[in-house]
Amino acid sequence: MSQAVEFKAGLVQAIPSLRAFAVSLAHNADRADDLVQETLVKAWDKQSSFEQGTNLKAWLFTILRNEFYSQMRKRGREVQDSDGAMTARLAIHPGQQGQLDLDDFRRALATLPEDQREAIILVGASGFSYEEAADICGCAVGTIKSRVSRARTRLHELLSISDEGEYGPDAIASQVLGSGVVG
Amino acid sequence: MVKSGQPVRRPSGAHQGGSEGGLGPNSEIGRKLREYYNELVSEEIPDRFSRLLRELEAAESPGNDEGDGGSKPGERA
Repeated sequence: MSQAVEFKAGLVQAIPSLRAFAVSLAHNADRADDLVQETLVKAWDKQSSFEQGTNLKAWLFTILRNEFYSQMRKRGREVQDSDGAMTARLAIHPGQQGQLDLDDFRRALATLPEDQREAIILVGASGFSYEEAADICGCAVGTIKSRVSRARTRLHELLSISDEGEYGPDAIASQVLGSGVVG
Repeated sequence: MVKSGQPVRRPSGAHQGGSEGGLGPNSEIGRKLREYYNELVSEEIPDRFSRLLRELEAAESPGNDEGDGGSKPGERA
């Protein structure tokens, strides 16, 4: 009986992260909450298949993710294809130099192909390791790594930022601008 | 030319979120990602979820005699 109590407490605790992940996948708060609801119902039903002592959060994320993709299939909507054709149409101009606005970031994130977006969210924000993210997505660790890396590269491109080091275009631009040639 | 072949590794060890994939505290993308996510995580949780869990629980154990207390499980301590 107390295992059930613990399980329920775990569900309650996971709700904020589940919602955040759901919004990241579905881009829509209402749909995200429906996903979370489905996830909780499914988790409750499958309670006996959860192994005590393993990662409940990862287990719940897996259920939510499966639910998301199965709903997408039912609705006949296709997973955005590989390298995000939408991206080309998107222009993001950071509001101020060096200041990356959160809305810009959100828009950029939304243009990523689904598989890349979920990978970078799981690893970069939800606190999962590559291995856990691979389990959640049902793919190889190497696949997750490459998705994260591609997502990161694309975000850099979209947002015209370069936090990679000193050799970015900004450094060159500032050298040119700072060279003291004033009319 | 930018030398890009170097793996980005944080020496600090632990498998914390963001420390992998060059998304650590020194990465602007990593920081924005967590800012974006934390904002979502800290949103208020709609009542429907605590209601739902109570319903699920009630359905599971119809014989429970705890009565319908006034406290809301959804509320945080």
